[in-house]
Formats: sequence, C-alpha cells, structure tokens
Amino acid sequence: MKKFLKHIAYGFFFFVLINLLIVLKYEYPAYKAIKEKTHKNYLKWNNIYENKNTYDLIILGSSRSYTGFNPKVIDSVLKLKSFNMGTSAQDIAESYHSLIEILNHQNPKYIVLETYFDLSDDVHDYYQIFSNASFFKSSSNKFELITNGYGSNGIANYLIPLMKFNNYIKQDIRTLFSNSTQKAPETDWYKGYLRDTLIITKKKIAALSPVPNFDNTPFNKERFNTFFNKINELTKSKGIKLIVLRTPYPPTRLKLDDNTDEESFYKKYFKNIKDVKYYDLNHYKADIFKYRDEDFSDHHHANLTGANKISLQLSDIIKNQSN
Amino acid sequence: MLFNSIEFFIFLPIVFAIYWLIGNNRIKQQNLLIAIASYVFYGWWDWRFLFLILFSSVVDYTIGLKLKSEDKPSKRKALLWVSICVNLGFLGFFKYYNFFVDSLVDSFTFFGSELSISTLNIILPVGISFYTFQTLSYTIDVYNKKLEPTKDFLAFMAFVSFFPQLVAGPIERATNLLPQFHVKREFVYKNAVDGLRQALWGLFKKVVIADNCATYANMIFNNQEDYSGSTLLMGAFFFAFQIYGDFSGYSDIAIGISRLFGFNLKRNFAFPYFSRDIAEFWRRWHISLSTWFRDYLYIPLGGSRGGTKMKVRNTFIIFIVSGFWHGANWTFVVWGALNAIYFLPLLLLNKNRVNTNLVAEGKYLPTIREVFQMATTFFITLIAWIFFRADNVTNAFVYIKDMFTTSLFTTPEILPFTILGLVAFFTFIEWLGRSGEYAIEKVDFMKRPVRWCFYFLLVVLIFSFTGEQQEFIYFQF
Repeated sequence: MKKFLKHIAYGFFFFVLINLLIVLKYEYPAYKAIKEKTHKNYLKWNNIYENKNTYDLIILGSSRSYTGFNPKVIDSVLKLKSFNMGTSAQDIAESYHSLIEILNHQNPKYIVLETYFDLSDDVHDYYQIFSNASFFKSSSNKFELITNGYGSNGIANYLIPLMKFNNYIKQDIRTLFSNSTQKAPETDWYKGYLRDTLIITKKKIAALSPVPNFDNTPFNKERFNTFFNKINELTKSKGIKLIVLRTPYPPTRLKLDDNTDEESFYKKYFKNIKDVKYYDLNHYKADIFKYRDEDFSDHHHANLTGANKISLQLSDIIKNQSN
Repeated sequence: MLFNSIEFFIFLPIVFAIYWLIGNNRIKQQNLLIAIASYVFYGWWDWRFLFLILFSSVVDYTIGLKLKSEDKPSKRKALLWVSICVNLGFLGFFKYYNFFVDSLVDSFTFFGSELSISTLNIILPVGISFYTFQTLSYTIDVYNKKLEPTKDFLAFMAFVSFFPQLVAGPIERATNLLPQFHVKREFVYKNAVDGLRQALWGLFKKVVIADNCATYANMIFNNQEDYSGSTLLMGAFFFAFQIYGDFSGYSDIAIGISRLFGFNLKRNFAFPYFSRDIAEFWRRWHISLSTWFRDYLYIPLGGSRGGTKMKVRNTFIIFIVSGFWHGANWTFVVWGALNAIYFLPLLLLNKNRVNTNLVAEGKYLPTIREVFQMATTFFITLIAWIFFRADNVTNAFVYIKDMFTTSLFTTPEILPFTILGLVAFFTFIEWLGRSGEYAIEKVDFMKRPVRWCFYFLLVVLIFSFTGEQQEFIYFQF
C-alpha cells in the first residue's frame, strides 16, 4: 500500500506540475496585459469602478454584443452615457453576476441584454468566465458565480487549469496540424466596444453554414430560465428597464436554410416571458436597417459598419420605448 | 453518479481510503461499506429506486435459502419461477410496459379497431437490466445446484449493488463475484496499479473517443436528411466508435476500480472491431451479456444440438431477445434480427468457430486477407448500428437508402480531422495491445519515464478533449 500511495503522490505532483506549466503558458499573457493596462476585461471593470454612477445604459452579452454596440453612436443619438460590458463567451449566469457587480457601482436606467443561446448550454468557456469574474470586487459575488452559476464543474474548472484551458489547449493542438491564420489582436476599444474594421471575405461567405438548429443543440432551457428570471427580477426591483435582443447574423447564413428553428425558438421562448419585450435585430425595421454580409467580420460578429446599424437599431428601440 | 463526474472523483478516494483503513480482516465491515457506498452511488441519481434494488436483493436472498432447504422438484421450480417473475416483472413494467401498450394499440388500429389503454409516465431505473440479470443468475445457479446459497445477507446486498458495475455491467455471475465477498481481499500493488491503468484507459475511451464522436454522430443522425451519403457513412462510423468507447470504456473503469478494492470482474470486451467474422465479433462484444444468454437461454432451449430448424430458431431467439434487452423499441429488435441474419450462414456452414485465435497473433501487421475480413465485419456491424442508433426503423431504412447513393463517393460535409486523428491514435493503441486484457495492459515493457509520459499524455488528452459530458449510453438499458 505504501508503494502505491507513494506513486499516487508522485502522480499528483506531476499533475500539479503540468497544471502549473499550463497556467504559465495561458495566464501569463493575461497577467502581462493587466500589468500593462491593456487587458480588455480589466479596462472595462476599471471603468465601471472609477466612474461611479455615471452610465445610463449598460450592455451585457457575448462578443456578439461588444462588437455590435458602439456607445459613441448610441450616446450621440440618445444623449445618454452608455457602456458596453459584453465579454467573450458571456453566458446567462455570468451576465447575472456581472449585473450584480455593476449595480453595486452604477445606477443605470437601461440594461441591454444580448442573448446568444449557443452559449447557454452545459459547455462553458471557463477561462473567459473566470477572467471576467476575477475583476469583481465582491468576493461573495465571485464565489456565487462559480458555485451557483456552474456548480461542481465550475469549482473543478476553477481549481484545475487543465480543465479551465481545455478549449485553448485543444485549439493549439489543432493549429499544430493546420495552417489556420490567427485573427489580429483586439486593440481598438471604446467604452467597452471593439471597433473591428475587418470585412468577411467572399471565400468565407461562400463557406458559411446555416444558423444553429435549436432542436438539436444542447441549449439548457432550465438554466437559462433561472438566470434570466433573476436578471428580470433584479432590474425590476431597481426600476431599471430591461431590453432583451438578439444581434444579427450575415444574411447569407439566414438564407442558407428554410429551417428557421433558432428564430422560431427565440420567438416562442420570449413569448412566454411576460413584461419583457424581445427584439430580433435580424428583422427589426429591416427596411431601414438592412444588413449585408459585408457588415460582418466573420460568421457572426459585426464589423464597424454592422455595429453602426446595430447601435442605431438599439437607439431606435429605446427612443420608441421612451415615447 | 457518473464515473466521469467531479462527484465520483471525490467519492472514490474516500471510499477507497475507508475500505483499506477498515482492514482486510474485517470482511463484514468492508462489505457493509461497499453496500452503503453502492447505495449512495446509486441514490445520487434517484434514491427512490434503492427500494427496488433492496427488494430484489431480499427476494433472491430468501429464495436462494429456501431452494437449499427444499428438495421437492415442483416446489423448487415454483420458487425459481417466483424469482424470475419478480425480477422480470419489475424489468417488464419499468422498461417495456409502454412499449407493449403502444404496440398493442397500434396493432388494433392496424386491423381497424380501436383500443384505449393509456401509457404511463414511467421513469426507467438506471441499470435495471444489469442488476436484474445478475440476481437472476444467482437464483438459477442455486436452483441448478451450481452454487451454494449465501447465508450472509450483507455480502449478498454488496454483490447485487456493487457500485463499480451496478449500472452498466459487466453482468457478473454469482459464481464468480459472490464468493469474493466471503473471502479476505488482499491489497496487491500490481493489481491496484493495473486497475488504475485500466480505469485510465476506460476514461480515455469514454471522455475522449466516445463523447467527441457522439457530438458528430448526434449531429448527423439528427439531421440525416441534410447530408450526403459519405457524411451519413461518417455518422455511422462515429456512432460505432461512440458506442464502443462508451460501453467498453465503462467496463474498463468498472473492472479497474474493482481491482482497487481487491475484486476481479469478468472481461466484457476483447477488441471486437478487430474481428474477422460476425461470430468472432459476438465472442468479443459485451461478453458478459452474450455468455449470459448462451448459458441461461440458448443452451436450455437446446442450443445448436438439434436440427437446422432448431438452430435457426434458437439463433433468432437469442439475438432478438438480446436486441430487445437493450431497449423497448423495434429498432433494437431489428438490430438483433439483422445480427442473427449475419450469424446464421456461419452457423449453418459450421464456420462460426473458425476465428477463435487472435488476429495476426505475434505480428505487427495483419495479412491482406485479414484486413479484408476485418473491414467487411466492421462494415456490416456499422450497418447494424444504424438501426441501433436511429429513432425508429423507418428512419434507419431511409438513412441506409440515402447513404447508398452516388453522394457516397463525394467528400463528406463533416470531416473533423482532430477527432479522426484521435480515433486513429486509439485504434493504433488498441491494435498494438490486442493480446492483453485491455489495450494498455502491457505497457510495462516501456521504461518508467516513458510509461509515465504516456499516462500523462492520456491525462492531458482526457482533460483537453473533454467533450460535452454525456451519460453512458448503456445507462438507459
């Protein structure tokens, strides 16, 4: 038994060592970016903490929101002060806990929630989630995000870097066998919005796949319901107007399939939620805000021109709501 | 509790530590711990069904003792039938009630009359088919006087509910496993290391191979009308590796964990995809179920001793019942029947025992003939898996029809090279290790640093390629 336990201990030691190497490889760039004050989440949260009770409108959501909503456009139309708190792969639990954190420091009139159901399954990008949560000032909120938001899997991913970075390790292994080109680093930020001037190439447009078919995706409805209701209750209790929307896709993707599962799923889903109006920006005043594939930088992120339209659509929605 | 869950990674070391701290001189206490741990393990999923296991244990334990004291053949037979009816009754109710009601209603509708029986909202208890067969084997063996009934109820409870193999096998025979609960279990370093290694390999099969293949198999099977023939073939290929990785992975973990506690379980898989004909495949696939049916159904029915008619009848019975055991759906029945059709020519030509040795034994590479035989066997198995995976028989036929079109010769729309690379790596390791009980059993020839690097490569792959956590397929059986 002694020998067995000794070998288990060695194994554990090597396991810890591997994890330390993983931390070094993947956390170091983030550490460096924070030190140099270029880390995107660090800058966003710093802005929220330093400009207490400044923002009237705050946007939550995934990368589809931080590439879509440009506070410059929104502010100029609505004469408000807005800030984009969208973060990479932000799922609904993360949005809820980010909102708690934000409301400790801000007193907005509007919260815009971009819903990207693809992220609300049971597979999460824990690195992005914990990177965002690491800037929460409230430790209890951070702890609750990990435990209530993601349960035992959240705790395990928090403690074991091999699990937390598995998507990135997998991606690195894949790139060993392919010649995929990396996207340019994201550097051009304005109030949480990423200004992306890239236009999707014709070759990439030709290779676009249809939008997801929700009958067959592992969207976790129960989980989404839980956190969505919490967001709704929290905003209601603070007298904040909640605006829920879906950002657009390149129109070619929408046309690729007659099957409009995702769209009908959204419509059906939000029909059942009382008091919250839902807007699908793919179709909102489509005659005015008509999207082209060229308004996107890839298969689902808007570029500068796309973001301009998206921001104008949001401004229009808010204007109509105020009237 | 799933083997690939965080909860189990906490549960196992705790049970392991307490088990060996109790000491192997206290067999009763160790058995009590196993029984409690097994009930916690099962109750984690749904505690209500613990009563079912307990009831089944009490019934079979009592009947076992009564069989010992009873000499009258008619009374002994009646006792056996009580056990069979209770066990199969539960199985029939929980697993097949709705299927029979639906089928009955459908047949009445087919003949133009209406029958109004409503189905029930029944939850299928996880692993019921496995532990039912295990307890049945005990009563039948006691009835046949192959086994002395146990007087130790605690040992019997631990045998029925033994957590490593409770929910998805291997289906243990009482003659093999029960006596192990009566004797002192020794901690043997070599066995424990071997157990851990087998569990690691099982976890790799489940998490890396099965779960990742599942993503693509589900994608293709759920949207079969959207894909070309070549993609549909890929879908069947991914499902073949999903089900093999999933089920044999579970068995490896179960066998490996049992070794940590000083128990030896039966082998359940022996590299079935390297089979040269379907008879060999069935000697290598889900061995514990095949041998169960052979011993308790095929042989009592007369086996292959009678004439051709009897051989054909018994073969069809065993394959169809085996298919039906997997689930209450006609797809499983057709899957079983199809395998019977594959198997019959070999049986009738007396060629079902041609390939009993290991393929390319002692060689690195198989002959061209062997490659052809393995590929053919794999391909016909693949066709059968389509029925196993499809939602209904019509979909399976449409899938096969759509697969065999000219688009079979086009490039598949879905071609995940990373997953295919992992499957190739897995197959390569399995090929190299096919003479062992499991693929990496004989890695001792490597120097320790190399061996440890290999283990850690598996660990890194397990963590990095953790797909979406899927339940083990065989839980539903």
